[in-house]
Amino acid sequence: MGNEGFYQEFEVFSQRTDTSPLQYQFSLLAPNRELALVMAQENFMRREPVADIWIVKRSDIRKLAPEEKQSLQRLDNKDYRTTKGYGYLKKKWRHYEQEMLDEKEILSWGGMKKGD
Amino acid sequence: MSEALFFQEMTEEQKYEQFMKRINAGEKIEADDWMPEDYRMTLIKLISMHGISEIMGALPEKEWVPKAPSLKRKLGIMAKVQDEMGHGQLLLRVAEDLMKPLGKTREDIMQDLFSGKLKFHNVFHMEAPTWGDAGLIGWLVDGAAIITQTNMLNASYGPYARALKRICAEEVFHAQHGEAIIMALAEGTEEQKVMVQEAVNRWWEALLMFFGPGDASTTGTSKQDTTIKYRIRTKTNEDLRQDFFTKYIPRVLSLGLKLPDETMHFDQDQELWVYRQPDWNKFKDIIKNNGPKSQERLGLRRKAYETNKWVHEALNTAN
Repeated sequence: MGNEGFYQEFEVFSQRTDTSPLQYQFSLLAPNRELALVMAQENFMRREPVADIWIVKRSDIRKLAPEEKQSLQRLDNKDYRTTKGYGYLKKKWRHYEQEMLDEKEILSWGGMKKGD
Repeated sequence: MSEALFFQEMTEEQKYEQFMKRINAGEKIEADDWMPEDYRMTLIKLISMHGISEIMGALPEKEWVPKAPSLKRKLGIMAKVQDEMGHGQLLLRVAEDLMKPLGKTREDIMQDLFSGKLKFHNVFHMEAPTWGDAGLIGWLVDGAAIITQTNMLNASYGPYARALKRICAEEVFHAQHGEAIIMALAEGTEEQKVMVQEAVNRWWEALLMFFGPGDASTTGTSKQDTTIKYRIRTKTNEDLRQDFFTKYIPRVLSLGLKLPDETMHFDQDQELWVYRQPDWNKFKDIIKNNGPKSQERLGLRRKAYETNKWVHEALNTAN
């Protein structure tokens, strides 16, 4: 029996806590998905806390070819998409004696009730 | 942009030039990127040797799992043995992706190990007859491994650099695990102190050899110039050996241990450690699987491979 085709390549992703993003770990070889999951835990989660593990068959992943990666380079004219392009508002709000509601301020609101 | 769009039309020389430009700019090469043939072959040789050494390296240590002197020590050394096997799997994955275009797989790596074509690190051909050896492997062999591996943390080949980052983090635990064993013995009874000193004497030459010969004149071949040119590593074998001395000699001496080389000293003028060269012919012989434990450990690996083959077959049918 040839071992050609016995092992399949899997890519492993995991989440450290419920609120953390899914993170790429590494690849592994396993004969099926169930064993891949067991091995993912043994190979990559021996110490770190972990809240979830995903394994994906490598052949199911469509990734960019090296030449295609060149298309990822951005032109440096995207200010209108970011807060950077609106930074001048700070000065204008000051003129109206108001603080600007910037990213830091807005993300700090987080559903807090009065008196919390 | 035009450079990239016309990649297919580039000559080999132009591709090589672009490759060198990328690695010299600190960019990482990935498995499916174009790479010069000798870059690929050098990486395959280096990483499959590194990976299989992790696996063969677990064997002298696993001998000590049933004989560890306490439950705490048993748990510690079991965790270390498991880590080594894990490191082996990580590194084999990196080597396998590089071998893929050559039509080679893990099966070829195992067969090359059994046939002697794929070598493993000189230190793992040696005996570990006492608990002092178990501690010394963790402290100084892993210490030496940390020196060579951190030297490649910024390697131009991305997958290897990423694997090493994971591995080095765990090696820190291994080194401290070894230190804990050695310190307990060095602070123990006379018999225990002798045990550590004998382990140092036994491993000294193998530790010097661990970093490889200074240059090709010693053993006939050396890949160090190629690995430096391709930014896989930065320092030479001798640089690494000197780093090891600087970090570890003061610690060895501070525990009341003696160096088995009475000529060894630090030359202030040259800023170099002066030491007696190990027998490099012996080194060549050891890595040809003629070391004291080479055949026994290869036999163990082969036996595990053969007796577990039915699992492969059963799962293959199930798929």
